[in-house]
Amino acid sequence: MTDIDKQLHDALRNGQAKVEAGRTPDFETVWARAESAIVQRRRRARAVGGIAAAVALVAVVFASQLRQAEQEWQFVDPDEFASSTSWVAPSDVLLPKHRFDIYGEIPVLIESTDEDRGTLL
Amino acid sequence: MRDSDDLDNNPHVSRSALEAMHGQVFGWALSRCDFEQAVAEDLVQQAYVELLTGRARFDGESSLKTFVFAVVQNLSRNRYRRMATRLRLLQKAGSEPGADVAEPAEPREHTELWKAVQELPARQRDIIELVFCRDMTIEEASAVMGVTTGTGRVHYDRAKKTLKGRLAND
Repeated sequence: MTDIDKQLHDALRNGQAKVEAGRTPDFETVWARAESAIVQRRRRARAVGGIAAAVALVAVVFASQLRQAEQEWQFVDPDEFASSTSWVAPSDVLLPKHRFDIYGEIPVLIESTDEDRGTLL
Repeated sequence: MRDSDDLDNNPHVSRSALEAMHGQVFGWALSRCDFEQAVAEDLVQQAYVELLTGRARFDGESSLKTFVFAVVQNLSRNRYRRMATRLRLLQKAGSEPGADVAEPAEPREHTELWKAVQELPARQRDIIELVFCRDMTIEEASAVMGVTTGTGRVHYDRAKKTLKGRLAND
C-alpha cells in the first residue's frame, strides 16, 4: 500500500465511521423482524391459497350444476307438438287460476274491458 | 458437518457469520440509500429474508461477505427501479415529482475528502467505499457491483486519481 493509499484509507475510514457511528441497529432485532416477515408472508400466501381454493370449488360446483341442467333439457318432437290437443303450461303463474284451461276459456286480460269482450285496447 | 446455526435453506450460511458482518452490511446498505436509516434497515432485513428463505442462495463460490453485499446491492437497485417507475407514473399523472422524496440524511460534518467521495460518479464511489472502507479487493468489489474486474479497476483508478488531486489540494 502506497502512502497515498494509506492516506485515502485512513481518511475514508474515519469519514465512514463518523457517518455510521451509533446508527447500526441491533442484529437480533433485524433478524427477528426478518423471521417475522417470513411468517407473515407465509400466512398471507396461505390465506390467498385458501381463497383461491374456495373460488375454484364454487366454480366447479357451478359448472357441474350447469352441465346437469343442460342434460335435463329435452327437445320437442315437431310432429308430436303439431298433433297435440291439450297443453299444460309448465308454470301457470301468469294465468288467473291454477291449471287454467287455456283451450276452453279466454283469459280476461288486465288491459281488456267488458264492453269490448276481451279485445285489447 | 453443519454448524448448529446454519440456515435451513442456505446450508453454507450461518447466523453467527451474518452477525459478525452485520455492521459492515448495514453500513453498505446505508450508503445505498443516501444514508436514510429506515430504508437501510429495511434493505438489511430484506437481505436476511432472502437468505433465510433461500431465494438468495450462497454456494460458496465467492466469500460470504461479497455475496451478502451483492444481495444488498441488488435489493437497492430494485428499490430504485420501483421508485423511478413511481416517479414516472406521478409525472404522467401530472403530480409534482419529488414532493415526498426525503432529503439525504447524511451527517453534515465531513472532510473535504469525504465530500469529494460523495461527489464521485456512483460506480467510482461504490468501488472506493468497498475497497477502502469495507476491506475488499478490487475483484471482490467488482463482483458486488456486478461488473468485470477490468471495469472495476478502471473505476477504481479514475476515482483514486480524482481523490489524490483533492488530497493534494487539502
